[in-house]
Amino acid sequence: MHEKHGRAMRLNRRQFLVGSGAVLGASVLPASARAQVRRGEIVAGLSERMLTLDPANHYSISSTSVLRHVFDPLVEVTNDSKFVPALAESWHAVNNTTWRFTLRKGVSFHDGSPFNADSVVFTLKRVRDNTKLIKSFVYQDIEDVRKDGDWAVTVSTKRPFGSLPAHLTMLGMLPPGAAGQEDAFFQKPAGTGPFRFVSWTHGDHIVLSANPGYWKPGIPKVEKLTVRFIPELSTRTAALRAGELHVIDRVPPDMVATLKASPGVRVLDIPAIEAQRWHFQLAKEPVKDPRVRKAVSLGIDRNVIIKDLLLGYGRPVVSPIPPGLIGHTSLGQKAYDPERARQILRQAGYQNLSIDFVLMKDLYPKQLEIAQAAAAMLGDVGIKVNIRNLEIATAREQRSAGNYDIFFSGWAHMPHDPDWYLGQWFTKAGAEKLTRFADPRVEQLIAEGRVPDPRVRQQKYEEIQRILWEEEPEIWPYYSVAIYAISDKLRGFEARRDYYVLLYDVSIG
Amino acid sequence: MRSYILRRLWQSAITLVGVSILVFVILRVIPGDPAKMLLPEGAPQSAVEELNRHLGLREPLWVQYGIFLRSVARGDFGQSFQYRSPALRVVVERLPATVQLTLVAMLLTVVVGVSIGIVAAVRQGTGYDYAGTVLAVLGQSLPNFWLGIMLILLFGVTLRWLPTSGFQGWQHLVLPSVTLAAFPTALVARLTRSSLLEILNKDYIRTGRAKGLAERIVILRHALKNATIPVLTVIGLQIGTLLGGAVITESVFAWPGMGKLVVDAIFFRDFPVVQTILILSATVFVLLNLLVDLLYPVLDPRIRYR
Repeated sequence: MHEKHGRAMRLNRRQFLVGSGAVLGASVLPASARAQVRRGEIVAGLSERMLTLDPANHYSISSTSVLRHVFDPLVEVTNDSKFVPALAESWHAVNNTTWRFTLRKGVSFHDGSPFNADSVVFTLKRVRDNTKLIKSFVYQDIEDVRKDGDWAVTVSTKRPFGSLPAHLTMLGMLPPGAAGQEDAFFQKPAGTGPFRFVSWTHGDHIVLSANPGYWKPGIPKVEKLTVRFIPELSTRTAALRAGELHVIDRVPPDMVATLKASPGVRVLDIPAIEAQRWHFQLAKEPVKDPRVRKAVSLGIDRNVIIKDLLLGYGRPVVSPIPPGLIGHTSLGQKAYDPERARQILRQAGYQNLSIDFVLMKDLYPKQLEIAQAAAAMLGDVGIKVNIRNLEIATAREQRSAGNYDIFFSGWAHMPHDPDWYLGQWFTKAGAEKLTRFADPRVEQLIAEGRVPDPRVRQQKYEEIQRILWEEEPEIWPYYSVAIYAISDKLRGFEARRDYYVLLYDVSIG
Repeated sequence: MRSYILRRLWQSAITLVGVSILVFVILRVIPGDPAKMLLPEGAPQSAVEELNRHLGLREPLWVQYGIFLRSVARGDFGQSFQYRSPALRVVVERLPATVQLTLVAMLLTVVVGVSIGIVAAVRQGTGYDYAGTVLAVLGQSLPNFWLGIMLILLFGVTLRWLPTSGFQGWQHLVLPSVTLAAFPTALVARLTRSSLLEILNKDYIRTGRAKGLAERIVILRHALKNATIPVLTVIGLQIGTLLGGAVITESVFAWPGMGKLVVDAIFFRDFPVVQTILILSATVFVLLNLLVDLLYPVLDPRIRYR
């Protein structure tokens, strides 16, 4: 008791001294320097371990978010889903298979080398040509990358690649000097980002320090950023509540009450660009039959799931593509009508149906409870659901082998564009070892939706979704809500819809 | 004695080769595709195949094992699939955290466990004995996970006496080592107590007392030495458990140790890391148990090896 009181008093005195010192100091400094006063350290606690420092060698939302502090991409995306300039000042589609990017001048990498067209050519060719890199398969459609002077780059593609700018928001630019010595480079990587790399302990934490020469004025606002990786939820929240962390991500709904009641902690939530999806095995009886799928859809009360299991932290789905992505539209909400479900099954002659619902263990919050609730609801309409809660790798093997009827999965925006989701899950080749979906109309529309023109894409995607809404190859039970918890010392933190935790324009109060 | 050690070393080598073959084969036979775990969920099958090829997983099993053995002879345990870094480096990075936690937990186990055991045995039937037994039962039945989180909430969040997690200074060691030591301490306490009780009834103890020796000397110098033989066996086994089985404690405390590394690697199908850890752990285990066996003659001159 005495200790807490004493510490509080000491902090107040220190705060006063720092505050008055800052005021005195600020009044003496010239305006430009005043704007750039950086102070303090932010410590973040993320739930997913970062596995690599190479922006081209992972496909993780969390790693993208961390590496964004060290590397700048060509294009950035705002929290209201607008693509805005980063290292590219502007870009446009010259024709259906050609993009042109005009680059920002006066930017340097942390090692002093200049950012220019050579960097872009190197970064893009590298990710396309080195097929060991995780992101490589995305860029196989790139035919050529040519520089047009030092400040412009033309990218030509084998087929229309309208989602290229979106993909590029996840690809940090690398200095061409990394060529031929990549192992050494990634021991101490240099990007153009607001923070410089200091150190990284695999699977534990990464330390970054401010880049004083960052091309955006006034950024970053702190001297040091440490990101700790703490997958265990109770530990992550305890560390925040104990004042050891300033921000944590991936807070599940049932932790919200505890965190709100903790002094010095604020909880922020925002609808996420993520749709849960339970996909059917479309080559397997009985879910091969659209009437069975319809009955399953009618038999699930999605609102109860959102209200009671997600404690309100979910949104009803109105189209497979969530709000925030091109193609989102409104097709109404799916009905809950168990009587009609029973009727459909009776008329179709189905009795004592039994289906397997496969889950990837511990992947999504409350997924087991939600699956159990759905199973109970479906039991009421005469469908017995066997929940198989399998370890992730095994579950995915079972999916490839086709041993499931429904599979609990999800889709978060990556990369802020639906082309990849549709192209993988709703083309015959893509879905072969997944859902076994095959519909030539949809396949044609997906191909047509790859063009750069956003109006054409919107129209094609709306058409695709109308077909999917009718055919119901998947159940989309809800859109997720992203919940973060922060220390009240943090100023300017924005809860993002894409699960990124971006801290370069955040300060410590 | 020398021939005994040599024989044991030779047996250890065969054991380790057997372990490596077993681990190698099991990893490649269980369901789960490393490339699928690295690539995002909807990645095309062609990308999966390409990555598996790069990872060397499309060769016949015996070819893969041959390549593996040749590399291990050079000290190269392969590249971690997850981290794209040499597997040995990834594992060795975790060594300080693991060793520190294991040593401190072991120290607590021996000091606290043996002390409780002695007090309970010497004061058999009294309140001390019952208290010791209750503590031991609690230690063996409270789940690690629960105990760890409770300690974090009490000492980290409410009292703020200790940090909640992470691996930085000596204060960070306190809660995880207490959590990890709870079960083995209880085990050692009970074993010490029963072992000591058995010996306290022996003739030579009665003789020592009859000779007029101080009770403290009787217990500590004569009884304890003999009582520690079974305890030493258990301690040797526990070190193995502590090294690999600390995964729950490591998860709860975000402790960058090898336990969590190996479990994550298994879930991720990161074959090189799993292989490296299992083979290294087996080596340590085998050598430690050899060491324990060699300590027996020191404690009990009746034991001799041929």
